[in-house]
Amino acid sequence: MNDIVVRDDLSLVATGSQDFVTVMLDGQIVGIPVLAVHDVLNAQQITMIPRAQDWVAGVLNLRGRIVTAIDLRRRLGLPPLEEGKSSMSVVVEHNEEPYSLQIDKVGEVLSLDDADFEKNPVTLDPRWREVSMGIYRLKEQLLPILDVDRLLAFESNGKAA
Amino acid sequence: MDDLLNEFLTETGESIDVVDVELVKLEQDPNNKEVLDNIFRLVHTIKGTCGFLGLPRLESVAHASENVLGKFRDGELQVSENAVTVILESLDRIKEILAGLEATEEEPEGDDSELIGRLDAIAEGGEAAAAEPDPEPDTVDGEIIDTTLGRALKPGEVSLEELEAAFANAPGPGDGGEASESSTAEASDKDADASLFDRVGGEDTIAVAAHLISQRVENDSKLGKFFEGTSQDQRKGKFMGLMLAMFKDDMDAADAVGRQLVTVAGFGEAQFDAMLETVKAVLVECHVDADSADEAVMMFELVREAVINASKEVAQPKAAAGGRAKPGEQQAAASKEPRKSTQSIRVNVDLLEDLMNMVSELVLTRNQLLQITRNMDNSELGVPLQRLSQCTTELQENVMKTRMQPIGNAWAKLPRIVRDLTVELDKKIELEMLGADTELDRQVLELIKDPLTHMVRNSADHGIESPAERIAVGKPEMGTIVLNAYHEGGHIIIEIKDDGRGINPDKLSKKIIEKGLATEGELASMSEAQIQKFIFHPGFSTAEQVTSVSGRGVGMDVVRSNIEKIGGTIDMVSTVGKGSNFSIKIPLTLAIVAGLIVKAQEERYAIPQISVLELVRATSAEKAGDSDHKIEMINDTPVLRLRNRLLPLVYLNEVLGFEKNEEAAESEGDDFIVVSQVGAFTFGIVVDQVFDTEEIVVKPVAPILKDLDIYSGNTILGDGSVIMILDPNGIAALASQGVSDAADEEDDQELVRRAASSDKESMLVFRAGQEHPRAVPLSLVARLEEIDISSVETSDGRLMVQYRGALMPLVLADPAMSLRESGNQPVLVFTDRQFTMGLAVDEILDIVEDEMDIKLASDKPGVIGSAVINEKASEVIDVTYFLGLAFPDWLASRDMSEDTTVSRSSERVLVVDDSDFFRNMLKPILTVAGYNVTAVNNAQAALDLLEDGETFDLAISDIEMPDMSGYEFAQAVRANDDWSGMRLVALSALSSERDVNRGFEAGFDDYVAKFDKDTLLRSLVQQFKIKGDAA
Repeated sequence: MNDIVVRDDLSLVATGSQDFVTVMLDGQIVGIPVLAVHDVLNAQQITMIPRAQDWVAGVLNLRGRIVTAIDLRRRLGLPPLEEGKSSMSVVVEHNEEPYSLQIDKVGEVLSLDDADFEKNPVTLDPRWREVSMGIYRLKEQLLPILDVDRLLAFESNGKAA
Repeated sequence: MDDLLNEFLTETGESIDVVDVELVKLEQDPNNKEVLDNIFRLVHTIKGTCGFLGLPRLESVAHASENVLGKFRDGELQVSENAVTVILESLDRIKEILAGLEATEEEPEGDDSELIGRLDAIAEGGEAAAAEPDPEPDTVDGEIIDTTLGRALKPGEVSLEELEAAFANAPGPGDGGEASESSTAEASDKDADASLFDRVGGEDTIAVAAHLISQRVENDSKLGKFFEGTSQDQRKGKFMGLMLAMFKDDMDAADAVGRQLVTVAGFGEAQFDAMLETVKAVLVECHVDADSADEAVMMFELVREAVINASKEVAQPKAAAGGRAKPGEQQAAASKEPRKSTQSIRVNVDLLEDLMNMVSELVLTRNQLLQITRNMDNSELGVPLQRLSQCTTELQENVMKTRMQPIGNAWAKLPRIVRDLTVELDKKIELEMLGADTELDRQVLELIKDPLTHMVRNSADHGIESPAERIAVGKPEMGTIVLNAYHEGGHIIIEIKDDGRGINPDKLSKKIIEKGLATEGELASMSEAQIQKFIFHPGFSTAEQVTSVSGRGVGMDVVRSNIEKIGGTIDMVSTVGKGSNFSIKIPLTLAIVAGLIVKAQEERYAIPQISVLELVRATSAEKAGDSDHKIEMINDTPVLRLRNRLLPLVYLNEVLGFEKNEEAAESEGDDFIVVSQVGAFTFGIVVDQVFDTEEIVVKPVAPILKDLDIYSGNTILGDGSVIMILDPNGIAALASQGVSDAADEEDDQELVRRAASSDKESMLVFRAGQEHPRAVPLSLVARLEEIDISSVETSDGRLMVQYRGALMPLVLADPAMSLRESGNQPVLVFTDRQFTMGLAVDEILDIVEDEMDIKLASDKPGVIGSAVINEKASEVIDVTYFLGLAFPDWLASRDMSEDTTVSRSSERVLVVDDSDFFRNMLKPILTVAGYNVTAVNNAQAALDLLEDGETFDLAISDIEMPDMSGYEFAQAVRANDDWSGMRLVALSALSSERDVNRGFEAGFDDYVAKFDKDTLLRSLVQQFKIKGDAA
């Protein structure tokens, strides 16, 4: 587990800076590596899947592809979005399978200096620690970076919910 | 064989074409190792395949070529133009043979020893070949390449084609012969005993011989007529040309000339033999030594076929008056032969898969467009869209066809397997295969291959008996396994039938119990067919001993799951001693299926059409007339009466975890029931709404949803929305908790019967007023209702509620409880004839099926006693008490003060009453009172019990019963002396004096008015006392 983080660290150091898409989740800003993002969509019609794990929001149609939507708020143990507000989708791929991460709002694309990167503090909520690559120190706030592969590696840690 | 050969022809044809091109490349760049390797590999493959297919001629030619190529590759030989030419020639030969194969499916006859000889010579090494006597190009009208030379053409030499052309244009053999005489002589001087041409004495001798032969054949009685049409000169020319070509190893030319030799039909083997004799005689006359003459005759053999065939093809235009047709024409004629192999090309499977996917997308888009235009008035789009739709459909069909393969491909190995099995098992089995050309999707084919093989093995191993056994039971020694495949409405049905011993349910039962798959009791209640279906249970193998053939622990369950994986179903009918018949139903293709779109809880789902048998619309219970279908409940199990069978139902809402069963059942509006079949298990899925059927493209679900068995995939509908495709297998498994096989319809009927039998009692457990649960026999409860508290009215100090258009009195189940302030109050509804009352309770807890063992009689009003239900002490309520509360006229009087709890378990009481309500009421009351109670619902059944030797101390009988009244029953009992000891008590609502008297006349010992529990109990005590006194 740890060495993956270290390796990510190194690669970050090697390239100097990286680009991230920032998204909002219950007031918390979160970064997703820009290269992992395939698409950003506005509110979509999502077909729910009864009996699936609760953090599976359902499936949606992305230009003829069926995309599984993951409710990132539930996945990270955050309260559900208030009634009447619709979520946005960030489409990523994992094992050639498209997934849509349902988030509150997409922010901007930031190019961040590797020097500002730090490992997860050990005290971080395990649910966050599990899916966070590390944290960038921004001027005003901290930006946890989402590890998309780890987030979607259901095969190994499907119990997390 | 047919398919194999066809494939081989296509493949080899392609390879040869490649080799042709590559060889030319090689010639230009002799050191290109890559090209050489490629050629070698291709030729090697051809050789290998030929050997495999048993084509000796092809194999030997290919082998010789491969040899040479091998030497090239290993660097032992230098690539030379000449060698390449010979190899090309051998490739041409291969092509020729292939053409023959294609036409006749057999290798054409012919001798390649000469060609092979040359190839071998090259293989032996350039030096050897060069050292070999190398006759200076001997020509007639030009020069001929000595192909054994192993070197490039010398200046002045010409190519084969030119030679042939020269042949054709030759003015006449005589002239030609003379013109080249000198050079020939020189050649023969150099290497006197080298080539056949020289040995027979060169062109001189040949000219003489040709002359003589042409004369002789004309005069020969047998041969003359074949040469009548030609002048002596022409004949001489032909023979001369033929011999020259042959003796100089130019077989192509020889062949061409040979074809021209006879231009009259009817020249056959015999004639050819006769001609050979003539030839030999002439050669001997011309002082050709015997060996050479023999060899010369042998050469003639090489053209035997050409000559005879030419005669057969005499319908063709005769040779030009000049004598010879151009060889080119001959070749043109030959090349007109059909080349089937060019009509098919080989396409990468991935490409086909891609195509299929694209078409699927196209279909979806088409559907989307159609959906959009359906809602539009603008018809401008209509026509082109229709056209597009049609094209798409055709395209889809055709692309599907590219993936179609005959099922025979999956069967190809079976005859061999069965043959091996017959040897191994010492049985005689005939495998019959019908409908082998039935086509189905390649993907499906791959997936059923193994299950099919497994099943045929099973049939051979377990099904078919040994010859001795078969004869013993009067069957033919030879067992038969029939495979039959056919189309049926978008599906393929495959049957595997054997006439073996069938599946013995007794033997199976033993095994089932051994393996703990079911208990003896469960098995006893199953039909044979149900027991037989246990072979589909995981880990089941019926062979008594594990043979090498089958019975390795993987059994029919694997077969079944494989077939179900592709959306198929498997069923089996087996008759002991007659054989078994397995039938598999599978979809034609996996990619696009017809799906029924249904709705549950505002969300749409697709159910694959293959598992849908029919749709039934069920009216909700209240509105249902007699003829309508309605959903009924057994315990809490919803069922539907469908054509005299009970169909178990599952609510889709519930399966999907939306709503509780009762609520769904009570929700107003009609229900739609999708009757589905999974294997032999038929059940109904209750859905909220049914839309239409759509062609849907099945897309696999994301990995995170893989373990949800209720979905088989998802798809995008015409309107662009994504919907889930339900898997009836998964639903059935969920519904029946993994006993889908056992849960046959018959099983449910079994359940009904069991529920009605006396052993177990279903109890409704509820709570009212106090903490402890209370229970009431479920059979007494007519319905469970939730009644809106605001609709409860008070009338005359009693609670009433409007219920089904009438006023229903409402009684509180416990004095301590009160109605809810608002919302709905759960109510148990009891009905006895015109009386209907509601019993308000706090909460309905559960329905428990258990043996009703009432422990204590209670002195509490409205309580019969207490029983342990679900390991909790529960009060069993006395419904009569509450009926009495609701309807003062229902029970005249009641007095619970008398102690009736004396144990009288030795005293057997028979209750005869047609009213379920009363039987159910009396039984607990009497049981509590300590009697051993048996209840039947008609007098005849009671008499039958008595006939069977059952004895009772007392019988309580209703008077008014259908078929046989209580009076008749009493008379019948009294008519039999054996039963004189039994006391008879009449229990009737008819309590006028006349009725009572009539009862006594009929033989009753006492007459008790119905509803009067205490009087009845007192009467019983009294009757037993009388009986005891009498004894």
